[in-house]
Amino acid sequence: MPDGAKTIRIEVLRYQPGERQEPYAEVFEIPFTHDMSVLEGLQYVKDNLDGSLTYRWSCRMAICGSCGMMIDGKPRLACRTFLRDFEGTVRVEALAHFPIERDLVVDASDFVEKLPRIRPWIEARAPRDLAQGEYLQTPDELARYEQFSHCINCMLCYAACPQYGLDPKFIGPGLIALLHRYNQDSRDAAAGKRNELVHADEGVWSCTAVGYCSEVCPKQVDPASAVNRNKTASALDWFARFLPGRG
Amino acid sequence: MVRRTYTRPMEGWWRRDPFFVRYMAREATSLFVELYALILLAGVVSLARGPAAYEAWLAWLASPFAILLHVLLFFVFAYHTLSWFRIMPKTMPPVVVAGRAVGPRAITGAGVAAAVAASLAFVAVVAALAP
Amino acid sequence: MQVFDADVVIVGAGGAGLRAAIAVAESDPRLAVALVSKVYPMRSHTVAAEGGSAGVVLPEDSLEHHFNDTVSGGDWLCDQDAVEFFVSQCTREMVQLEHWGCPWSRRPDGRVNVRAFGGMKIERTWFAADLTGFHMLHTLFQTSLKYPSIRRFDEHFACELLVDGGRAQGVVAAEVSTGELVSIHGRAVVIATGGAGRVFRENTNGGIVTGDGMALAYRRGVPLRDMEFVQYHPTCMPGTGLLFTEACRGEGGILVNKEGYRYLQDYGLGPPDPWPRKKAMELGPRDRLSQAFWHEERKGRTVDTPHGPAVHLDLRHLGDAKLRERLPQIREMALEYLAIDPALAPIPVRPAVHYTMGGIPTDAQGATRLAGLFAAGECASSGIHGANRLGSNSLAELCVFGKAAGEGAARFARGADAPGGSTLRWQEQDAATRAFAPLQGPAQGEALATLRREMAQSMERGCGIYRTAAELEATCLKLAELKERAARVSLKDRAQAWNTEWLGALELGYQLDVAQAMAHSALARRESRGAHQRLDGFTQRDDAQYLKHTLAWHAGAEAPRVTYSEVVITRSPPGERIYGKADPAHA
Repeated sequence: MPDGAKTIRIEVLRYQPGERQEPYAEVFEIPFTHDMSVLEGLQYVKDNLDGSLTYRWSCRMAICGSCGMMIDGKPRLACRTFLRDFEGTVRVEALAHFPIERDLVVDASDFVEKLPRIRPWIEARAPRDLAQGEYLQTPDELARYEQFSHCINCMLCYAACPQYGLDPKFIGPGLIALLHRYNQDSRDAAAGKRNELVHADEGVWSCTAVGYCSEVCPKQVDPASAVNRNKTASALDWFARFLPGRG
Repeated sequence: MVRRTYTRPMEGWWRRDPFFVRYMAREATSLFVELYALILLAGVVSLARGPAAYEAWLAWLASPFAILLHVLLFFVFAYHTLSWFRIMPKTMPPVVVAGRAVGPRAITGAGVAAAVAASLAFVAVVAALAP
Repeated sequence: MQVFDADVVIVGAGGAGLRAAIAVAESDPRLAVALVSKVYPMRSHTVAAEGGSAGVVLPEDSLEHHFNDTVSGGDWLCDQDAVEFFVSQCTREMVQLEHWGCPWSRRPDGRVNVRAFGGMKIERTWFAADLTGFHMLHTLFQTSLKYPSIRRFDEHFACELLVDGGRAQGVVAAEVSTGELVSIHGRAVVIATGGAGRVFRENTNGGIVTGDGMALAYRRGVPLRDMEFVQYHPTCMPGTGLLFTEACRGEGGILVNKEGYRYLQDYGLGPPDPWPRKKAMELGPRDRLSQAFWHEERKGRTVDTPHGPAVHLDLRHLGDAKLRERLPQIREMALEYLAIDPALAPIPVRPAVHYTMGGIPTDAQGATRLAGLFAAGECASSGIHGANRLGSNSLAELCVFGKAAGEGAARFARGADAPGGSTLRWQEQDAATRAFAPLQGPAQGEALATLRREMAQSMERGCGIYRTAAELEATCLKLAELKERAARVSLKDRAQAWNTEWLGALELGYQLDVAQAMAHSALARRESRGAHQRLDGFTQRDDAQYLKHTLAWHAGAEAPRVTYSEVVITRSPPGERIYGKADPAHA
């Protein structure tokens, strides 16, 4: 390490299934510069101190969603969290509410397996041939769902959601936001099918409006809004079945 | 090769982050709302039982303990109201006024202002009716 | 080793791989598709592409114009039959994506909007804010979930291509979570594993872009074509190499040196006004802009930053509102990583490696010269980019050739026998031995990070924007040395489950092979064309000797063998690349 370089300590919650039964903390001291991200800090550790430190990463620019983890107790993307914002020791742990596979890698299969259940594809309201060109969609119609289409599947919102942590049957904030994105898309007609999941216990009714999901979302998707807006719709739908002509 | 994942316990989850502590406080305020409802219910029941019972209830309300309780309840209700309006924007579809989207802080502010105005109006009415 | 049987095996689940999978599923739902990827599909590097995807729509535009822009952009090294096929399919594929839900940015009347892009005569770049690759990838991934015939092998790292009887018959892959190897058999194989930009030091690429599929085919006797053509994107963040999309310039951004001077006018791209103007100044092709930076640095006119020299990308005149609407991700990146608000201050940028024009050679239908093997996307050399790729042709390529390769693979699979040759079991065992070798390396050997760093630094020096024989030869020697040292890599991590250090060692092996193909191909091409520019006497384009494709052939421990193949010229005889005022269209 060069003389006079600033250093910082990274405390990682390690877990190696073959070796110890329980996770344990390990501290690494590394030199750092003003613009180094936590991800770059972890890379320094892996390249120079301990090659067995394991974490997911790829794009380095907060768009692939790989590097979500708990940094000083909060769900953050490691590539867009900077070491300069911490004093002394940064505590790093695998994303909360998911089982740990190894070190900072979690078992993400629950999220991935739930994805098809929300029917995240267009079922066209008025199908067109390709030769007829694109569906018309005005900038206002695009604006109705665009924000919800920004989800990078980083799962920080799942780590923020205590209801998901307490009962993983809950579909969860990110996937309900994506479901809402499709329901709001003017080209789509499958809201009725998707709403069966919305109305279910594991749909919006598992949510108690904690609101932390929207706080931690790195892309301002606002999943709390997507979920809670649908509660009103879900309740009205429930009452509407008593009206003549429905139910 | 055995793959063994580790599931971390959820015990004490709400103490891990100030955001969760505030959420639990918000939820806890509803218990105090329930308590106040019971006090009012006791008043209604005592009214039905006759003037002596009603006077006893009013006397209890004037006791030091009850006054302290009501002061506590006032602050709890204030937090209850504030936190309610803080989460309200999340439950609403987008609000557009004169072509521009109304942000969540404006909605919260409007709600709190309406609650304060309603409370002041109620106090004024009660004061005017007091003998 | 567990064996899975499929009809079509697709390696890589980015834009091209997903599009191929959907194409197989739509062409015949009875064909079983195995979609193998070392990461979850939404992490594929397609996600980072920003600016847009080309497709002719405006009435004043034509396939002819798109064809000509692409061929001249590629400095006439393009296979023109492939370009003709490509431009004829782009718009249809962009409409297909729109039908699948892609949130293209719109005009007020509800039709898709298009914007200007580098090297293109007329606006034809479809865009979804500055998140085009992200939206295309998520649209394709989510749409792929509709098809029950697509079975995904997420987080499975491809270690070997199985070849028997002169046919591709599947892959051996490591299940990352356990380290167990599995064999996935198929009657046809599509490689869609992306580029190899990580062999260089400063690049826009994610960590996964390590040339895996290119190396797997290369090691099986498939040559890699035109590997010397590596694109430097002119506007990247100094240090990290993160990309500031060409759309910044499409929307009117300008590049100035430390004197505030729009220096591109000194390099045949002017005059600076009127602005903006297609194919002029900042909307010139990427190779020219990167080369201009190199010259400005030599002249001492670049800006100093903590991460080295840079120039300024000035977007202030666009205004805050337009930045938020059209370039939101750029704005966020500048704020988060550089604490710069582009509405108030210019952004320091410089060239970094971005795209691999070369790769596995294919015909216009995505078929390689190995029967049953197809390739699509950045890992392929489809012939459309030639010596320099135009921005927004790559995202379109994913769909056009992803579909072509998928359909080609489906047709081939229907007519082929199931795999089952006697040598397959033997190949699988052999693959296991090779794959596990780094885990059995010496206790005190070479450090993985050191080897990787030395490779990247050497490639930056030898295969940079401008090249010389001396530096290329030094890089070739260095790569040979690194390959030998890599056999003695010593890993700290000896576990089998979730061992990313081990996978990193396998990736280094792929990268060294691909880097060798790049360096030796560059040394052999004694001319300057497109993104391959030399300073050592071969400073001009030499059509007489080098109007041909380079082929690099794997030779084990030896240096790759270099041969050449024909470029297909149909309608456009080689001419001069004209940008700026000299273009008669601007007269």
